[in-house]
Amino acid sequence: MKHAIILLAVLAVAGPSRAGDPPVSTHQEYFEHYEGTATCLGCHQEEAESFFHSQHYQWRGETPDLVNGEGRRLGKLNTMNDFCTSPGANWIGNVTNSDGAVLAQGCSKCHAGLGKRPEPVLSREQLENIDCLICHASGYRRDLYQDAAGEAVWKPILWRNQPGLDSVAKRISLPKREMCLRCHAGAGGGQNYKRGDIEYALAGCDRDYDVHMGSDGQDMACIDCHTGADHRVRGRGADLSGTDVPGPRLACAECHDEAPHAEPVLDAHARRVACETCHIPTFARTDPTDMVRDWSTPQRHEAANKFSATITLEKDVVPAYAWWNGKSRLQPLGEPVRVEKDGTVGIMLPQGSRKDRGARIYPFKLHRGRLPVLADERWLVPIAVEEFFADGDIDKAVREGGHDAYGREAIDYEWVDVKRYMGIYHGVRPVEHALQCLDCHGEGGRLDWAALGYGEDPVRKRLK
Amino acid sequence: MRKILSGPGLLVLALLFAATAVAGDEGGGKKLDGKQLFKERCKTCHGADAPAGEYTPMFLIQEQWTKFFAEDYAATHKGLTVSATDTTKVLDAITPEMLEAIRAFCHEGAADSEHPMTCG
Repeated sequence: MKHAIILLAVLAVAGPSRAGDPPVSTHQEYFEHYEGTATCLGCHQEEAESFFHSQHYQWRGETPDLVNGEGRRLGKLNTMNDFCTSPGANWIGNVTNSDGAVLAQGCSKCHAGLGKRPEPVLSREQLENIDCLICHASGYRRDLYQDAAGEAVWKPILWRNQPGLDSVAKRISLPKREMCLRCHAGAGGGQNYKRGDIEYALAGCDRDYDVHMGSDGQDMACIDCHTGADHRVRGRGADLSGTDVPGPRLACAECHDEAPHAEPVLDAHARRVACETCHIPTFARTDPTDMVRDWSTPQRHEAANKFSATITLEKDVVPAYAWWNGKSRLQPLGEPVRVEKDGTVGIMLPQGSRKDRGARIYPFKLHRGRLPVLADERWLVPIAVEEFFADGDIDKAVREGGHDAYGREAIDYEWVDVKRYMGIYHGVRPVEHALQCLDCHGEGGRLDWAALGYGEDPVRKRLK
Repeated sequence: MRKILSGPGLLVLALLFAATAVAGDEGGGKKLDGKQLFKERCKTCHGADAPAGEYTPMFLIQEQWTKFFAEDYAATHKGLTVSATDTTKVLDAITPEMLEAIRAFCHEGAADSEHPMTCG
């Protein structure tokens, strides 16, 4: 309730957050010229300090939802993923090909800062590094430039046009869908590559695409569900290391009844089956998503004059299904890899089982990949991918990544198959598109009953 | 901070709007290519380090482009000729249709649009 009051109070000032609204100048009278974050700090020091401590800035946080968090503060800054691996050696800088085209700019492209890495200790320099406008200003865009000292910094593309910059900097609101999607839909190297269920299409979709965000549906903003205070955002999903808001998980039942169906059998299902499982039949419905990323086999793209990992894209993907009780297991850096029964290393695995009464069956994007590990220590090795995009030298990229992560001048490494389960929560469709009984219980249904601990379909078993 | 589209630089900008037809016929039918027009008429003298100043769609916001085409373009280009050798008036050489195509391109690629453009 407290969150709702805060949200309404801010909306009263900032106006509603809806896609397609004309820009509103909410800060016209508050300052004359925007001169960087210092202008915001004049009134919003407290907010900047709260944001500094958030996951959106720190890229790490407390890990109460990891079974092997062990009190560490973890996040994308100090763990490894199976997309571009780690910000460590890939933080910032333009990488160009032989034609001069920019191929990559580093992970900081989607950090809400102006180029400096987030530090754990608060300072004036760190507060001035916060880029308030990337989340709060409609029409704000930035690019990478060199400052007077030759350091790469993110600056507004309007930095030479003070009247234009002032106008944009005064259009302050709570984050609208398109502001969140700038980073969350473009992560992983391409549109919808990483998440699968967070597409640019959500910025202006209809109810048939998503009942919550559709303009003819509830027309909700991201922050209507991902509520929070002090810049801490609820809803970690299943594959983030840190939890910004510890406590009860974000759940459909916060708005919907626990037993919302007309048919009792469906309500009975809901006790062990997550809402998303039936109501999000497929994901990546507009843009294909990265389902496999094999870094061991560089791929040359002649037209773009660049290299990439071998990426398998798929569209309209049927999710993988697994039990999940809200906890996850991470494969940390600097620890021997834990090999699963299928021979893969689980980068992030949902926890829970049929016997776990706190677990339900959830839909996931099951992302697979191939990553390097140290031959002796069996530790995952991040890859310095940025220069690789231009020169295609994966061996050099692995060695540089190993040096950055572990300080080793020379390494021996091998390749291992990895997998990550990423929860599917967006793209909830109208009820007429929800799964039907036979989608799971029919011949060749979509659930792998054995993997879920049933041996066989319990309904068909009962009918025998 | 420099002024937007004022001063001597405008003379050079005006000279860019030459009289050649772009992207097919001008007599109706085909839609004019605003990007091509901008590139051929503006970009040649408004590239990086140009004396007239660099301009691409994303150097201004939509509100500024709207004001420029509605209020400033005609006044600032009045009397200017296409080039030293071509004395055609810029305002005559650029048809309303061509101007609209350029305006639409600038608006769609403005700094506060969804996809800011540099015009190649």
